[in-house]
Amino acid sequence: MQEHLIASLLIALIGGIVDLDSTATWQFMISQPIVAAPLTGLFLGNLYGEAAMGLKLGLMVGVILQLLWIEQLPLGMNVPPDAALASVLSVALGFIAGHSYETYSEREVCYTVALLLSVALGLLGRSLDMFVRRLNTSVDNWVNQKIEDNQFWAISLGHTLGGIFTFTKAFIFCFLIVWFGVEPLKYFTQTISLKHSSGFIVVQGLLPAVGFSVLASMCLKEKAEIKYFAAAILFFTILPAKIWLGIGAALIVMYKTRPRKKK
Amino acid sequence: MNSSPNKRALTKATLIKVAFRSFFLQASWNYRGMMSMGFLYAISPGLDKIYDDINARENAYMRHFEYFNTNPYFASVVMGVVLALEERLSRGEINDEVIYDTKEGLMTACAAIGDGLFWDSWRPFVAVASLILASGNYMLTPLFFLILYNIPHLYFRFAGIFWGYVEGTHVIRSLKKFQFPQIRQNLRYGTLVLLAYMIPNHVNLHTPFLLTNLPMEFFYFGEKVVQGIGATLLVALGIMGCRARVDVLLISFLLMIFALVLYHWGILI
Repeated sequence: MQEHLIASLLIALIGGIVDLDSTATWQFMISQPIVAAPLTGLFLGNLYGEAAMGLKLGLMVGVILQLLWIEQLPLGMNVPPDAALASVLSVALGFIAGHSYETYSEREVCYTVALLLSVALGLLGRSLDMFVRRLNTSVDNWVNQKIEDNQFWAISLGHTLGGIFTFTKAFIFCFLIVWFGVEPLKYFTQTISLKHSSGFIVVQGLLPAVGFSVLASMCLKEKAEIKYFAAAILFFTILPAKIWLGIGAALIVMYKTRPRKKK
Repeated sequence: MNSSPNKRALTKATLIKVAFRSFFLQASWNYRGMMSMGFLYAISPGLDKIYDDINARENAYMRHFEYFNTNPYFASVVMGVVLALEERLSRGEINDEVIYDTKEGLMTACAAIGDGLFWDSWRPFVAVASLILASGNYMLTPLFFLILYNIPHLYFRFAGIFWGYVEGTHVIRSLKKFQFPQIRQNLRYGTLVLLAYMIPNHVNLHTPFLLTNLPMEFFYFGEKVVQGIGATLLVALGIMGCRARVDVLLISFLLMIFALVLYHWGILI
């Protein structure tokens, strides 16, 4: 019980910090799933004495969520789904609920169900973001009046309040989800028979395809590029799966198409 | 107001302070002025140095408590230019209309450059490069992502304030030298090559038929080819869905149903 409370508070703290980075402050991109999820896994894994396992789960979740929401951008009035909170919660729920299972299959099911659930939580997080922005609008009006009265200190206070709202929102949201969400997730995993549960592992393996589609759709701008892209996929299908092949080919193409100084 | 003409009112330390404050640009993002409060908060140390007179300072504060929205990494360029113009206004060389017009034009230009470069090109490229490492279970992947991503971020944030302040309205000419459209195209090609590597290698699609029908020496190659073709078909369907503006979550849900049905029929394992 006490361990669960500490874990919930830890996740709430990570959620608060990571959510601040997503739009409100810094934007170093620790809020990106590929960073936020492994970070959560590492801290949580340390708490339970299984740091490597937590980190590995974080990387798996990070890869899928990063791809899934890569085209969602915080431009102008657009508020994207909260990928940062979804990453933190996906790892937290999956790890804590899966921790109590012995078999690989049950743990994997827990991870996948937590991942799917966190996508919905990311959408809920977007609504909370919009609520914070409405609160900020009220603060903005208050600051406006204060400046007219030459009370310039209100700018710092009003601006800081915005950061506090964002952190508090994420902190409370993460705490409540982890505190109340682990047991229902465990119960749900237990109700799925082993025959069906392995199907979730197949789903987990195929999910990156959606992310690849999103990114390819975003990057392919001209029809001629589709031919080259298909040829490159064929090329890498035949060749062995070596990371240096992919990175090397990308570097060669980028070198050949690099910007040159105009004469 | 500062009485000594042509002397720069702001020191390096003040400009660095403004650049640091720009990290908090969007903390109070709101539906009225968007980043207006963040912008004012960031440049206020500069305004305080430029204007000694309380009324002139209040006017300057009110001037910048208006709508402001741009790319956060390029905002410091706008801040530098605005501070340079405020300094000229304090010396009576220009009127405040110049500041309004320049700020509006510059924030739009910086939004276009910054969003295109960072959100549309650099972030996807660094993300895919990191995903390749992550799928190879490299534990330092998050660190690689953070370091690589933030090199240009920090460069533009800190150099931008000095470019803006020193060059004033001519800063756009300096930014043009970077050839951003070409850099973006270059990054896009790089992303596509990395993606072409990821598609056949990192979608896990296994079928039991190969185990029973292929001799063992051809099994691994056969499985890779089947996985490559299957993944390519799935991605092609996904691209069509994205182009038809189908929501990505709906596509994921359909894929989940598809995978569970094929698993149930014994086609996928």
